[in-house]
Amino acid sequence: MREGLKKVVRYAASFFLIVTLNFALPRLMPGDPVKNLIGEDVYVSEGVMEELRAGMGLDRPLYEQFTAYIGDLLRLDLGYSYHLHSPVADILRDRIGWTLLFVGVSVLLGTALGTLLGAYAGWKPETKANRLACCGFITLSCTPPYFLALLCLEIFAFKLGLFPFKGFYDVPTPGSIAHHMFLPVTVMALFSASRNFLIMRGSVIQEKGQLYALYARAKGLYDTSILFRHVIKNASLPIITLLALDFGFLFSGALFTEIVFSLNGMGTLIYDAIIGKDYPVLQGSFLVIALAVLLANMLADLLYEVADPRVRRPA
Amino acid sequence: MMQEEAYVRESTIQESTIQGNTIRKNIIQENARQWKGFLAHNINLDIRRYERNLKRFNRGGLFLFTFFLILALLPVLFAPYSPTERFMPYEAPSTAHLLGTNDIGNDILSELVYGARISMMVGFASACISTLIGLMIGLFSGYFRGTLDELLMGFTDVVLIIPKIPLIIILGAFLRPSIWTLILVLGLLSWESIARVVRSKTLQIREAGYVKSARCMGFSSVHIMASDIFPNLFHVLLPKFMLATASAMISEASLSFLGLGDISMKSWGIMLSFAFSRGGFIRDMWWWYLPPGICITLCVMSIALIGFGFEGKEKENGKRGVDAE
Repeated sequence: MREGLKKVVRYAASFFLIVTLNFALPRLMPGDPVKNLIGEDVYVSEGVMEELRAGMGLDRPLYEQFTAYIGDLLRLDLGYSYHLHSPVADILRDRIGWTLLFVGVSVLLGTALGTLLGAYAGWKPETKANRLACCGFITLSCTPPYFLALLCLEIFAFKLGLFPFKGFYDVPTPGSIAHHMFLPVTVMALFSASRNFLIMRGSVIQEKGQLYALYARAKGLYDTSILFRHVIKNASLPIITLLALDFGFLFSGALFTEIVFSLNGMGTLIYDAIIGKDYPVLQGSFLVIALAVLLANMLADLLYEVADPRVRRPA
Repeated sequence: MMQEEAYVRESTIQESTIQGNTIRKNIIQENARQWKGFLAHNINLDIRRYERNLKRFNRGGLFLFTFFLILALLPVLFAPYSPTERFMPYEAPSTAHLLGTNDIGNDILSELVYGARISMMVGFASACISTLIGLMIGLFSGYFRGTLDELLMGFTDVVLIIPKIPLIIILGAFLRPSIWTLILVLGLLSWESIARVVRSKTLQIREAGYVKSARCMGFSSVHIMASDIFPNLFHVLLPKFMLATASAMISEASLSFLGLGDISMKSWGIMLSFAFSRGGFIRDMWWWYLPPGICITLCVMSIALIGFGFEGKEKENGKRGVDAE
């Protein structure tokens, strides 16, 4: 119970920190805060500027500004993008679905692939194929994700012409979407698999030396059933933790992959916002991504309890 | 047998000074092992001892890393031209320009060689910052325990959840992109895992006999932490430091790709980003975008391999109980 309370406090603190960061950054950073709040390189007339200055209440005390900001957040008002001429919340709503689909599919695939291969590689680490796989995945995990994406784009889309090189679809049918998503999902899945692979391999190597594995062998179980029925359960616990902590990392990897493949998701939105110095969009994106990561972490905590009875019933 | 023979021969050398030089040469060429024995015997330089230490690292990683380090420290030796010198733009590889030239006519090989220093500097500097912060937080919370531990570890967990790269993107967009802000931001945001590892190791060490006796003798906490605990943390810190360097280099490359790098300091990430945004891909100039990408990958890999190798060795030592006491 006490652990649970601690976790709740921790998540609340994270949430608070994220919101505060988002609130404080444009006001702390050098330069005119109004410019920081609406974005640079925007053409706004002097009159509008003055109006905004008054409307944003930058002359009021900080705590009043903060409560006003929280109020806006609760009403899902993330500000207005003067570059794209629409509320940030609407822009994000259009984009985030695709990105979540993209990240979700590739993380699931990557985790499945990485866990299975990693478990096998950890079970028999000395065979040639597994050594090769290990080298390959180490290389993959050391490659910046966007470089991998660029290489795939170059080889499979430009040189071989097997896949289209931009967008989510030509016509919105599942076939076309799958065709367009194949390369980016492959890249992201490989990237996420490489991290899971290394963790899983180490964890299986550690677990297979335990006594219960020996006992299972003594009972006369086959190798595969020792691995898949006994060892894998315990060995996959670190993967769940990693999955949550890595979610933010993978999310950012997905942003870069989207930019390379010109997918119209959060990544390209952020890229354009950086180039145009569109701060409201950047902030909104950060908030949304941070909240998504927070949710993923909570989910992983719950999953962990389901997967590991020892956590549920502390001795 | 072989070694005995060698020593016998060596002693004969010392006796017969007439043929000494020629035979000595023969011995040196004969066998590497003999050569090492010879060095140890005559000029008191035992390479074998250093070799034993060297084996604790991953050999391949160490070799690659040394190569990149030399590249970073002495770029003048390897770069054929100055990285800012201009030639014909968009040239294909030739004997004059081994990797061709880019859009403003800089020699790509020279740029690549000079970029090593910048990329590695960002990696190491920010890893230094994050290791220092992680060490401090981990050490304090592990040594003092209690409320301080709860607070510091709670803070660590809270920071751990915040996604780093999106935050760095926002900070980078607000601040003027410069290499120092990049180093500072990367360093200040990646200390959590180091703090955790240091804490758990400190919790383990503080129960050891020598720490207890130091406390009994009345040494101050700061002194105990600095001279009794810190030296024992070193082998946990080193692999973490290496991995932090590797991930900082990847982050730097990624941020440069978004145009948040320091354009006046051309790192590999910025080269790659320019190749992407200034037509290296559309013109199909593999000599422009491949080398920096491969360099980043190899350099990060060498650093990570050293870290992994060291970590693996430590685990083995831990199993055998070498560093338990």
